[in-house]
This record gives sequence, C-alpha cells and structure tokens, in this order.
Amino acid sequence: MAQNDTLVKGWQPVIGLEVHVQLLTNTKLFSPARNKFGEDANTLVDLIDMGLPGVLPVLNEEAMRQGIKFGLATSAKIAKTMIFDRKNYFYPDLPKGYQITQLHFPIVKDGIVDVDGKKIRIHQAHLEEDAGKSMHDQYDSKSVIDLNRSGVPLLEIVSEPDIRSASEAVNYLKKIHQIITYLDISDGNMSQGSMRCDANVSIMRPDSKEFGTRAEIKNINSFKFVEKAINFEVKRQIKCLEDGETVEQETRLYDSIKDETRSMRTKEFANDYRYFPCPDLVPINISSELIKDISNNMDELPEEKEQRFKKVYRLDDYEAKVLCVEKQTANFFEEVTKNCDPKLSAKWIIGEINALLNKNDISLGDSKITPENFSSLMAKINDGTISGKIAKEVLEEIWNTGSNAEKIIKSKGLEQISDETELESIAQSVLDNNPGQVEAYKAGKDKLFGFFVGQVMKETQGKANPKSINEILKRLLSG
Amino acid sequence: MNFKTQRENFRSKSISAKEAVQETIKKVKTDKLNIFINCFEREALSKAEYIDNNFAKFKDQPLSGVPIAHKDIFCTKDLITTCGSKMLKDFKPPYDSTVVDNCNNSGSIMIAKTNMDEFAMGSSNETSFFGPVSNPWGENLVPGGSSGGSAACIAADITSISTGTDTGGSIRQPAALCGITGMKPTYGLVSRWGMIAFCSSMDQAGPFSKDAFGCAALLDAMASHDLKDSTCSKRKNICYEKSLNDNLDNLKIGVIKNIEGFGIHENILNSYETSKTVLQGLGHELKEIDFSELSSGICSYYVIAPAECSSNLSRFDGVKFGHRSTKQKDISDLYMQTRSEGFGDEVKKRILIGTHVLSAGFYDAYYLKAQKVRRIIKNKFEEIFKDVDLIFMPTTLDQAFEKNRESSDPNRMYKEDLLTIPANLAGLPAISFPNGLKNNLPTGGQLVGNYFSEDLLLNITNKIQEVTDWHKMTP
Amino acid sequence: MDKIELKNLLFLARIGIEDKEHPKIIEKLTNTFDLIDEMNELDLDEVQPLNNPLELNNVSREDSDNDRNAKKNFLENSPESDEDYFIVPKIIE
Repeated sequence: MAQNDTLVKGWQPVIGLEVHVQLLTNTKLFSPARNKFGEDANTLVDLIDMGLPGVLPVLNEEAMRQGIKFGLATSAKIAKTMIFDRKNYFYPDLPKGYQITQLHFPIVKDGIVDVDGKKIRIHQAHLEEDAGKSMHDQYDSKSVIDLNRSGVPLLEIVSEPDIRSASEAVNYLKKIHQIITYLDISDGNMSQGSMRCDANVSIMRPDSKEFGTRAEIKNINSFKFVEKAINFEVKRQIKCLEDGETVEQETRLYDSIKDETRSMRTKEFANDYRYFPCPDLVPINISSELIKDISNNMDELPEEKEQRFKKVYRLDDYEAKVLCVEKQTANFFEEVTKNCDPKLSAKWIIGEINALLNKNDISLGDSKITPENFSSLMAKINDGTISGKIAKEVLEEIWNTGSNAEKIIKSKGLEQISDETELESIAQSVLDNNPGQVEAYKAGKDKLFGFFVGQVMKETQGKANPKSINEILKRLLSG
Repeated sequence: MNFKTQRENFRSKSISAKEAVQETIKKVKTDKLNIFINCFEREALSKAEYIDNNFAKFKDQPLSGVPIAHKDIFCTKDLITTCGSKMLKDFKPPYDSTVVDNCNNSGSIMIAKTNMDEFAMGSSNETSFFGPVSNPWGENLVPGGSSGGSAACIAADITSISTGTDTGGSIRQPAALCGITGMKPTYGLVSRWGMIAFCSSMDQAGPFSKDAFGCAALLDAMASHDLKDSTCSKRKNICYEKSLNDNLDNLKIGVIKNIEGFGIHENILNSYETSKTVLQGLGHELKEIDFSELSSGICSYYVIAPAECSSNLSRFDGVKFGHRSTKQKDISDLYMQTRSEGFGDEVKKRILIGTHVLSAGFYDAYYLKAQKVRRIIKNKFEEIFKDVDLIFMPTTLDQAFEKNRESSDPNRMYKEDLLTIPANLAGLPAISFPNGLKNNLPTGGQLVGNYFSEDLLLNITNKIQEVTDWHKMTP
Repeated sequence: MDKIELKNLLFLARIGIEDKEHPKIIEKLTNTFDLIDEMNELDLDEVQPLNNPLELNNVSREDSDNDRNAKKNFLENSPESDEDYFIVPKIIE
C-alpha cells in the first residue's frame, strides 16, 4: 500500500477523490427545464425543480447514455439494473428535502483510470441531481436561494483510496477531465462549477495494514487548490498524530486565501440520510444492445487517438501525447493536416501555439487561430515564402487579428528573400564591411560564422532564407 | 339523483350545464356537514357557460355537463388546494393535476374541493385542519376517510360524481360508511401528476358515485397514460362504460375462509352473506380461499406509508411555498416552527414513525421487512387469482362510527383498514358497493380483481345493482 | 423508545414538540410500533422485497425541453422573496 516516493515525514498519505461532473445534456436529470449556466436567477426552474406538491420526476435518457459512455471509457461494469434512491436531508437549496441519487445500484461500478502508468481504480460513478444555490451577500440578516441549478444532472465519480500524493491527485483529476471532455459529456470547468472535487485524506504508517481516519475536504475549485489543500491537510494530520492527538472523521472546508482547511461546525446530532429506493421512479434495465450502440457511436478516447496519430501521421510518443491532451487541439491538428505536413503542424502547435495559449490563459477554441489561418501559415513556411523566424512574427499577427498568413505577409512585406544573386550581393557587402571579423574567422574563430549570418539577417530584416545564406556565406568565406 | 340521469338531462338539453351548476352551488352553500373546503362559484359558472355554448363538442364526452367535486388533494391551477392542511391553506398551484385536467376535458364542471383527512392520513375525516366531516347518515357519525368529504358529497346528493384517492382504503372505506360506490383502480392506471403525494407506491386516484355506472364513466374520464408519471402504466383500450353491458357468466369468486375471525361486526357479516347469495343468483360460483396473511398487511402498511410520507412531506419547509412561521430566528428555527405549526398531530406522528423506520440501524428491521411482507401478499394474490376471477369480502370492520370514538385498543383506527390495505400493497383494483342497511346504517361489500380488471369489477357491481336496490338508499 | 431517541427523530424530521409533550408522543409511537412488530412473526428470510407493485421498468424521456418556468408566479406565491430570489434567514456555514 505504501509508495516510498510519496512519503511525507515518514507517513503515507492516502487519498480518494469524489468528483462531481455536470453533464452536457439539453435538459435536467428529471425535469424538462434547460440545463444551462449563467442565466438570470430562477429562470431555469421547472415545476418539478421547485418540488411543488404533486410533481413527479421522469428520467432523462441522455443523462443515462452519458453515464454509460463514462463507464465504457473507464472499462467499468455497466449496471444491468440501475435504481435511484432518495437521500433525505434539509437545506434551503434542496427543494424536495431529499436528493434523488444512486446508492446501491449505480449506473457504473469498478472502473480504471490510467494515470502515467499507475492504475487508479474507480469505485463507482452514479447519476444524481444537483442542488440549487444559496447566497449570503445580498442582505445582512438573510440569505437568498436561486434554484436554476436544482435538478441539473451530475455524474459523481468516486475513486478508491488508491492515490498516494497531492500531485498524483492532480494528475488523476486531469485525466478525469480529459476523459469527460473527450466524451463530450461535460465541459469540466472547475471555476464555473461544472466539475467539483472533494478529497478524502488520511495518513498511515507505511508498514500499517489499516488506513487512518479520513477527513473530507470540500470547497476546492481549481487544480492548483487541489494540490495545496491536500498538502496542507496531510501536514495537519501528521502534526495532529505526532502531537498525540487523534484525527477526527469530519468534513473540513478549504480556504484558498489562507491556504488551510477548517473544520465545519459539527452538529449536535449526526445526519442520517435514511436512503430508500425512490418510489416515483422505476428500475432501469440497461441492455447489452444499448451499451453496444453507445460504444459503436462513441468518439475515440485519448489513448486510441494517440495510437492512431502515431501510426497515421508518423508522430512520436511525445508529439502524439501532447496533441491529444485536449480533444479540441487534436481535432484542430487533424483538420490542418488535411492540407499541411503533419510533422510541421505538430511542431508548431506543440511549441508556438501552446505557448501563446498558456501565456494568454485561453483555450484554442476561444482564440482567433483557426484551421484555415493556421494552415495558411504552414503553407507559407513549407513553400519557403517565409523563414521560421518570420513565421513567428506572422503567427503573432494571426493571433491578434485572425487574418491569414498570405495577407499578413503581403501587407508587411515579409516575404523571404531567396534570390541567390540578391543574397550573394548582400552577403558580400557584409563581408566587405567587416574585414577584421573575416580575418579572424579565416584564422580559426569559427564562432564568427554566426555573426555574419546575424549581420545578413539584420540587413534583410530577417527575411533572408537561412539555408541559402548558410551556403552562400560558406562559399564566400572559403574562397 | 344519479349520474346517468344528470348526464342525460344535459345531453337531451332538458337541463343546461349552467342550471345544473346553479342547483349544485345552492346545495354546497347550504351544506352543514362540512363537506367542502372551498367552492369556486365564479369559475364553475364560467365553465358551465362555455360548455353550454359548445354543446356539440361536449355532448358525447363521458361527463358531459355534469357538476363534480374534487378531493382537495388534486392540484387545481390558481385555485386553492389545501390537502386538508394548515400547511397549504392558502396554496394556489400553478398547474392542474392530470385527473382534474382529464375531467375538465371530459365535460364536467368542478364546483368545489372536498374536505379530507390531513394529507390523506386518517380513516374518519377527523384529522382535517378544516374540521371533521359529518356522515349524511348521522351528524354525529364519521363518513370514513381520508376521502370523507367526497363520499359524503355523493351520499348527501350534492353532486353525482366526485373524485377521491385510496392509499390504504381511503376511497372504499368511506364509500362503505356512506352507502355509495367507490373504486380504487389498479396502481398506475390513473396518473399521479398533480396529486399531492402521501405514499407514492400506493396512492391511487379513483371515482365515487351512487352506482357502478357513474364510477365507470368517471373512470373513463380520469384514466389515461401520462408520460409525466413514471409509475403510470399504459392503459388497456377499454371503455368502462360500454363494457358494463358485457355478459360475463359463471365467474369463480373467492370468499375468504374464516373471515369472521377478523373482528368484523355482525351487521356487516350479515349483509355479506346476503350479497354472496346475490352473486350466486347471478350465476357465479363461490369458492373458499385461504388468506391467513391478510392481517400482516397492516404491519407492512404502517411501515411503508409513514416511511414514504416522511420523505414526501419534507418539501414543506416554509422556504418556497405554503405556510411559514413568523417565529424564525434562524434557518433551523424556520423549519422546526413551520413544520410544527403547519402539520396536525396525526401527520406529525406518521412522519416520526416514517423517519424512525428508515433510520440507520432500523431500515432492515422495519422497512426492508415490510417490503418483504408486501411481496408475500402480492404473491398470495397471484396464487389466488390462478383459481378465481375475483375475490369478494366485506369492505370494513365497522359501520359508520361516532366521532371522537374512544377505544381500549389504541390501534383501533389503524385496524379499520385491515380489509382494504392488501389491495393497496399489491397494487390491485378493488371496488366497494353498498350491500345493505343494518341499524339504519349502510354496509359495504368489496370486490378485488386482478391487475387491470376494472371492467370486470364494474360490470359485476353493475349487475348486482340491476337486481338489488341497496345503491338507491339515501339517508 | 426513549427521550433521546425522540429528540433525534424530531431533529431529523425538523419538527418541534415541547418537552412536556414528549411522554405522550413516545406512548403513541410505542403503540404503533407494537402493531408493526407483529411482522416479526413471519418467516421472511428467503423473500425478495417489493418496491413497485407493478414492477414496471425502463421509463425515461427524451432530452427535449419544455418551458414551464413561472418565475413571477413562483416568487409571488412564496412566503418571502424579492424580484429574483427566494429569501430565508441567514444561513451560517
């Protein structure tokens, strides 16, 4: 159970993650209200979401299909029969006073997620409805309730406590994110709340056979905070045990400003959820035909795409992996390779494009880069119109304006100079203007070659064809 | 006044819908039995006018031009729906229940909402926030419950049809105590959309009328396959009214061995014997069956019903609709005060029982066990229906009893449902019809059929009512 | 059933009952449990529980929307609200 490289001060952290994922269905799990984010308060609320007397839930079959997709993508067991249960508790954002969820017969069980070669097991994934939102800043002595989110379909993905470090937890989370976005079942946006993560953290001695008491950490809303929260909690528990105290089984909130976890007020009486099968819904038998149908119509998973990219486009492991981290990038790549060299495109996407996306913290889909304008750039590099260096300039311009390479090159006069005669005369004039360096070079200072190249580039505003210039200078200097 | 006549009066244009409604409203307003919670005179007159003006459209509908009263458990759009509770005493639903919608489309005109036991919990209509209902057969007597108001409404000749709901006998028992006909259909035949939930896996809406004919026409209107209710099943394509005339001979009718051992009053047993003879006279064979598991139904019911209701009633928290206490220091207080103020004693008791039987540590001992008893009862019925077509038994243990009845047995009221509960547990259809007058009070007989055999039940009841006069008795 | 269990039940059910009423409630509840306990006389070991009397399966709907939102009505008919929200006493986390 212990992983030596993950011990902290001699203790083994043990982590399980519960990830709630909002599904990308058109309507909510049990009501026909639109499943949308960011609308005016209480405008996406159906009679059913209000929990009015007399209303009844009806299952959205698309939510079920999306759950099955997740099960297939994680090699999990899909339930032959799934049943919905009621989880009873009182909270102002829970209109019925119970949440419809799945306890004993979830849609998916026993899955596996590969995280950099280590297999993290998924205990189960189940469908359940989201609650509404309560907010506390509008009034001094009152809180307000918005039920737009009430009833939104969630897939709760529960891992086994197989994770052994905070960074492993982040990688697991990234992997889950990749799977759900590839499957198009969620947009996995942690800051908007369409993907939420709670961490169950405990520590134990490496040679112990039993897990320690675990604490549940809530209110983590970014990948970065997952790592910080877990690290803090592990340290807190170590200090606790080393001071001779015990770790309480409790729920703690992560405070990202203070970077600490705090115990939630413990209630006098424990909350007993009194689960029982929801009598307003009926069991769903999932046939192998349905599963096969969904499997046949599923988009490629990341691993499959990587393999295919390596084979078809002759990419290496690294290139395929990086291109496939996000589905939209992989799709972008495939689109551009219809007209461009795969290796060249891969190099530019992995290098320059990704750098721009990271620097500006936006996604490819939200940028002005399109397969068309990117392809135009690749074409101009390929046919020698511009050099690699100039291409970077052009790319910046494409990034800012969305215009295509042809237009930009023309308007800025960036065409590469490849005319041998012209280049030769420029090269000759550089050599003529720097006799000292020429002497030094001929005397053995090879490094000065770069100086001459640099001078030619300066004269030509970088537009000289590098290959030609190298050949010409070599020729001129050897003579 | 019976339904067939009322409908015929409209169809033959001898009495307009408006006149019928005005007559009925007069009776509603002069009612002293506390049958109604709210009367909707303006809406009723407006609808009646609409029906009269669209005679051609409505004349062939099952309920054309006939006034109706709905149990106040059915949501009626923008019209107060209380469920007999303080919690909802001013509640106006923004939508119609399917039952009300279906009846509206079938040509009936809703006059008023009838009084009922609070949240359908009770067997005497004494738990209503709006006061008890009196039985038309005796003001000091209960009409039964929880659909006491709807049953009394028919017995008092105010309307000829009314709707009720039956979870443990709440249509059949008041029908028996009031001397009228009332039916609980197969679970899932009638949509529960808009019907305020008590025990979701047993609640079922059904018709009241003086006779099988009225019940058949009303059931034709009420029943439909509703996609908004996941537990609603596809309906057979049957017109219950038409099938009343089918000739069904030589049925095998099961009668329970040692029925006297269940504590049934001798008046009821005497009527029962007489009706057995009538059935035989109609050409059917009586066959003795064993049903010793009958009494365990009560134990199972009083676990399952409170359990489901404790969950169903959690939505009444004072946050979004219904009553809210003015004493609200904080959220916890809001809940506690709202729910103690809004619910009556019987409802609180059942919520507590339900909460307990679902609790950690008690779920297996109570809830799971009760669901197993339920399976046993369903299996037993299945076994019985291999040999017989119908089961005939009394509806209740007692005739109409005194209000505020004292009993040495604290569970007496619950045991009243002994004979009706098994059909609810198994989801089977059952009908209660008047089968005698003893001590000047009605007695009731009950037929239980196999799944979706409403046509059979109504047909046999109709045949009985063709050769007897019990259904014509009035207080 | 004793006082502590009742207090826990009352909290779970969010129902407030004055302390002086507790003995009466406990008695009522105990009576009902006596009735229910008669279930224990049956042999239920090999029996499967029954949740849904008709044992229906597979009811679901297409993912198409149907706008029944009635925001104005919901808020106006609620115990306390403003133009946009339902209002409750301050919730302290």
